[in-house]
Amino acid sequence: MTIEYNNIGVKLGGKDILTGTSLRSHENKIVGIIGANGCGKSTLIKTTFGIVPYHSGNIFIDGSPISDFSPRDLASKIGYVGQDTSCAFDFSVRDVVAMGLYAQKDKNKKNKKEIVSAALKELGIEHFADRSIQRLSGGERKMVFIARAVAQGADMFILDEPTNHLDISHQLFVMDYLKHSGKTTLIVIHDLRLATHYCDYLYVLADGVTYAEGPPLEVLSCDNVRHVFGVHGFAGRSTEGVLDFALFECGELGCISEIVEGGDEAHIGRHMPDLPQ
Amino acid sequence: MRTKAWHTFLFIFLAVFMVFSVIATVSIGATELPVSEVYGVLLDKLFHGGEQISAGVFETSHYKIIWQIRLPRTLFAMCVGAGLAIAGAAMQALVLNPIADPYVLGVSSGASAGAAIALLAPIAIMEGQRQTTAFAFIGALGAAFIVYFLAKRAGGGKLQPVTLLLAGTAVNAVMSAVTSYLVFRARSPEGIAAVYNWQMGAIAAAQWKTLTIPAVIVVIGSIVFTMMGSRFNMMMMGDEDAAAMGLRVRLFRSVMFIGVSVVVASLVSITGIIGFVGLVVPHVVRLFARTSDNRIIMPMSTLFGASYIMWADAYARSVHGAAELPLGIVTAFIGAPFFMFLMIKNGYGGSGK
Repeated sequence: MTIEYNNIGVKLGGKDILTGTSLRSHENKIVGIIGANGCGKSTLIKTTFGIVPYHSGNIFIDGSPISDFSPRDLASKIGYVGQDTSCAFDFSVRDVVAMGLYAQKDKNKKNKKEIVSAALKELGIEHFADRSIQRLSGGERKMVFIARAVAQGADMFILDEPTNHLDISHQLFVMDYLKHSGKTTLIVIHDLRLATHYCDYLYVLADGVTYAEGPPLEVLSCDNVRHVFGVHGFAGRSTEGVLDFALFECGELGCISEIVEGGDEAHIGRHMPDLPQ
Repeated sequence: MRTKAWHTFLFIFLAVFMVFSVIATVSIGATELPVSEVYGVLLDKLFHGGEQISAGVFETSHYKIIWQIRLPRTLFAMCVGAGLAIAGAAMQALVLNPIADPYVLGVSSGASAGAAIALLAPIAIMEGQRQTTAFAFIGALGAAFIVYFLAKRAGGGKLQPVTLLLAGTAVNAVMSAVTSYLVFRARSPEGIAAVYNWQMGAIAAAQWKTLTIPAVIVVIGSIVFTMMGSRFNMMMMGDEDAAAMGLRVRLFRSVMFIGVSVVVASLVSITGIIGFVGLVVPHVVRLFARTSDNRIIMPMSTLFGASYIMWADAYARSVHGAAELPLGIVTAFIGAPFFMFLMIKNGYGGSGK
């Protein structure tokens, strides 16, 4: 299953956020969307369920216009998890995951329970299934919402910063989960190290358009990183052959000052004193 | 499973308590009647077509008090409680705010303004009481629609929780101003007293013939809202999540907003302002049921709301003898401190998302 955003234009509050952004998912692969804060990454994926309206362009699901699908149909194909997982009301984790069943075509009652249990198990959160969603940490809530997307029966994930709020081990757990689920996945991601490690393909958004695309090693070149984020860094392979993203200060590959995790911390990295050669 | 058993117990308890409340409160009133006589009249009328009444076993005045005043009043109290409670639960889900109340809709202030026009402006289209009810109903629905379109306009074509709350506040202010202005300009002290009484809310006006329409609306509303329970749950997760789960968020919010408005308008147009029911009841139920699941909270709220208002009204009509205490005062005395308690307990700052 693939989703394709074709030349999407979005105006919010009279301001052009996206002026013609195109990107598409890759079958059974993790595709990352990166870019500076406010570049419209989240805005783009929010157009999928009509959460944000777009004034130009089209979205296609397996080649058919998205308008051919009812919202419920769409939810049975695509599991979307936004950034905000706060909840003003008190529901148990199991209740929240079970809400995903609304999209399920299989209305068999006995199956429902199994679907929910399986989804909880898949994310490794059965142990707090009966706790209140309000008493969980931001990271735990994220896992619950992904489990809900699983319960929807979706073949595809669209996730807005899935590793946000998670500690490092849970970040790796979620990314490993996505990798091994083999589902077609589209994620907005800030952490360039995780993006380099886990994404098969990256789209870089800047100035309202798709600025660059390709495998992480190509896309996260020194030039692109400088243009988009204003910092010096690149994706590369370490001497052990591991994919990684590194920030450096003096413009020479030899003087990596610090490997940090994108966003604000990249800024700190830039001001690190030069290390002795 | 333990929670399921607990919920079943609560359901049975609330249902039994509601039936008990009907039976118990019907024997309470300003006129002291022997309990045996009350049930004698009711049983005779219900199951024997009133044979003994015709035969003169009971006093006619007592029969009239019981059959034509107490019973319709008790049943109407049941409708008012059930309707306002479920409307409150629905409203809280629609505006994503656990402390919302049907009054947020502007319905009650609109009803007040309508009633004030009927009582104070020199127009006589229908006979007294009926004119007040009709105008209040128009005012209630009118205010709700202004809130609806104002919120939609301000939200850029979307009905959003925050704009809905703000539009409610704005319309409430305008409607209160209309009411106050009419009171200020009014020449007759009786008219002013009537508006004043109306604003304090009472269900003394209940009669068999005024009972039918609100009863039908409340029953239909309760069934529909409860059937939509899982969708209301999804709304409670916020618009983004509800949409991602496949709900047509805008359509649902619009249709349900209208539904809630009709239920509340059908009640307050007859009773006047009875506050805090929609706030207190769903919260108490959530506290005991330990969930926000509307498939459980909504039907429980109708049962508990019905009992709550039956008892509140029984208290209102009996505590000061012949001079009846307005029901709105009773519910405010109970509801307002409870509201404060909730604020402190849950630390509600504003809308959920």
